[in-house]
Amino acid sequence: MTGTAPHIPTLETERLILRAPQAGDFDALAAFMSSDRARFVGGPVTLRRDIWRILSNIAGHWVLRGFGLWAIVPKADYNAIGVTGGWRPETWPEREIGWSLWNTGAEGKGYAHEATAAARAHLYDHMGWTTAVSYINPNNTRSAALAKRLGCSIDKTAQPPHDDAYGPCNVFRHPAPEALQ
Amino acid sequence: MMASSAPKYPRRRHPAPATHTTLSVDAPIIETERLILRGPEAQDFEPHARFFADEKRAWGFGGAESRNGAWRWFASSIGHWLLHGYGYWTITERDTGAVLGITGLWHPEGWPEAELGWVAFEGAEGKGLIHEAAFAARQYAYDQLGFGALPSYIIPGNTRSVALAERLGATYETTFENVGHGPSMIYRHPSPEDIE
Repeated sequence: MTGTAPHIPTLETERLILRAPQAGDFDALAAFMSSDRARFVGGPVTLRRDIWRILSNIAGHWVLRGFGLWAIVPKADYNAIGVTGGWRPETWPEREIGWSLWNTGAEGKGYAHEATAAARAHLYDHMGWTTAVSYINPNNTRSAALAKRLGCSIDKTAQPPHDDAYGPCNVFRHPAPEALQ
Repeated sequence: MMASSAPKYPRRRHPAPATHTTLSVDAPIIETERLILRGPEAQDFEPHARFFADEKRAWGFGGAESRNGAWRWFASSIGHWLLHGYGYWTITERDTGAVLGITGLWHPEGWPEAELGWVAFEGAEGKGLIHEAAFAARQYAYDQLGFGALPSYIIPGNTRSVALAERLGATYETTFENVGHGPSMIYRHPSPEDIE
């Protein structure tokens, strides 16, 4: 029996589809989470059961919060290459926009920027968000560069997550919806 | 009893496409004499957090969890429905709506097969309620989802769960090392044909 993902909207950009996470995304997520690339998002995680729990957690987050992470899928492909979207687990002081690209082959094409800009626009325009942060490890230079490209700047007044699993982080504040009009 | 014209397992009507926290799991509702089993909903988190904070209760279910850990588990349990189309129902008392526990089908990656699981929250034991819920969930799995004889994985020493498994007609099969979870006893339920 296949799963269901009621009311998780599908977004479309020029080159990408952003859709609900699916069971079929497991292998791509597992390759990412078990690699060193996942070091800024709580990895590496090697036990398949724990990686499946991450995927199901991403899916369930939608129901608990009304927003969540979309799987990023290039139109030319079927396989997810990463996630982007809204994120607020129990230890987050406020709502975050988070993203990860799952393999090096997906980098350098502007996919993460294109997907995250679309996700942010949807959160602002259709889900009632008025502000957003992104929590980024100080050593994660790629994500910091993307945050700046998205117009973010470090907000020293904002609380970082109280979660030891993620280490230190800078809090980047996104431009307000009005600033993006 | 339900009217004969009503669907046997009605599904909750969804609200219009949501702009806030009104998403729900597309889980069938199972009604029994004293209970309503429905999909997990956001307000079920607090009873889950209380359960996971109680080491005496949670040890047989993988151990106590912080509030954050409980949230992660609960979100994952909801995600199980979204990814597989089945999962743990929330067991509620028909008359009061009180949340009594969970029961259903659990098949995370790495589990050898889907199992029938159950958890009694505080105060729900001793009245046959969890038996009633698990029996109904098993019947749904057999009748509607096409599962064969289901296992239940039980941590050695969890005598209450063993008693319930046996009351459901399950028998001890073997003990295996459940990766990341430690040794688990397999209790095998009667097959759909055995029950008829």
